[in-house]
Amino acid sequence: MAASSHLSLRPLPGQNRPIFRSKCRPVRCADDRQALFNRIAPVYDNLNDMLSLGQHRIWKRMAVSWSGAKEGDNVLDLCCGSGDLAFLLSEKVGPNGKVIGLDFSKKQLEVASTRQHIRSKACYNNIKWVEGSALDLPFSDCYFDAITMGYGLRNVIDFRKAMEEMYRVLKPGSKASVLDFNKSTDILTALIQEWMIDNVVVPVATGYGLTDEYKYLKSSIQQYLTGKDLEQLALEAGFANAKHFEIGVGLMGNLVATR
Amino acid sequence: MVRVSRALLKDGGLGISKTLSEILVCPLSKQPLRICEERNSLISDAIGVSYPIVDGIPCLVPNDGKIIDNNDMPKPEGAVDSPDEKGMSRGSV
Repeated sequence: MAASSHLSLRPLPGQNRPIFRSKCRPVRCADDRQALFNRIAPVYDNLNDMLSLGQHRIWKRMAVSWSGAKEGDNVLDLCCGSGDLAFLLSEKVGPNGKVIGLDFSKKQLEVASTRQHIRSKACYNNIKWVEGSALDLPFSDCYFDAITMGYGLRNVIDFRKAMEEMYRVLKPGSKASVLDFNKSTDILTALIQEWMIDNVVVPVATGYGLTDEYKYLKSSIQQYLTGKDLEQLALEAGFANAKHFEIGVGLMGNLVATR
Repeated sequence: MVRVSRALLKDGGLGISKTLSEILVCPLSKQPLRICEERNSLISDAIGVSYPIVDGIPCLVPNDGKIIDNNDMPKPEGAVDSPDEKGMSRGSV
């Protein structure tokens, strides 16, 4: 069930070069990634703050804003992890709205659930946690008013399937907002990103005994899609409109796809 | 932090809210699920699979599903017995 799958993207009409990927992604299968996120769960939030100097909070607010989520909406946060985006969405949709936070890591969901109980805001009661796969979403077609996905798409083993599932469960006219590292086509940006991972991220993670887990970060960005590729993938999945915005001096990117 | 979480969830019961159970569908068949309170699980009658609910969180990764032995699982009202398929065994989907 967790075997890695290949991804091939059909070219759009008129396009000469198909965007394709090798048959086997050379990094880990879904089970390994699930175990990785279970292992980093206890320190995930602290490391996010430290490694981004708190900037991730700004990027996540931008992602929520781009999703178009508003009061009373039913919204989904995919690969919710410890719940950062879900809590932001909860404040946006209010007590008449509903937030589902979905993740395949039990440990991350435990942290999210604990944070929900510790925080005093009553509106967080509108969040429900679900253990699930971004590739096989346990929701009906056309259900959600907005979807967010923060630092999740890069970690799934089948980008296309994840995109198709997001499309399927979104109401027509609604948006998916997908925040992640930017796989930059600018050489300088790519070099800076790589340098920061090698010389900041991995040494800090090593202090927590998580060297390999954060080394995975670099290879996962190498395996990821560029902004243009993401836009094309979204269109191929059926989205009417797709735009990728670079943020965080080009180190991060946010895809906004409208069904 | 995790200990606090488990204590809170234990006090609140193991089940999930009716609202949530109405939103969720089987990740494989995309058909509705029903709650089995006896087994604290969600049942996909469409494909004969049950998914556990652990600490109030429904586990709907396809790998979490277990094929139901028809003789074992309480049925919904009005359901008719169907014969076991030859070779079907319990285990992860």
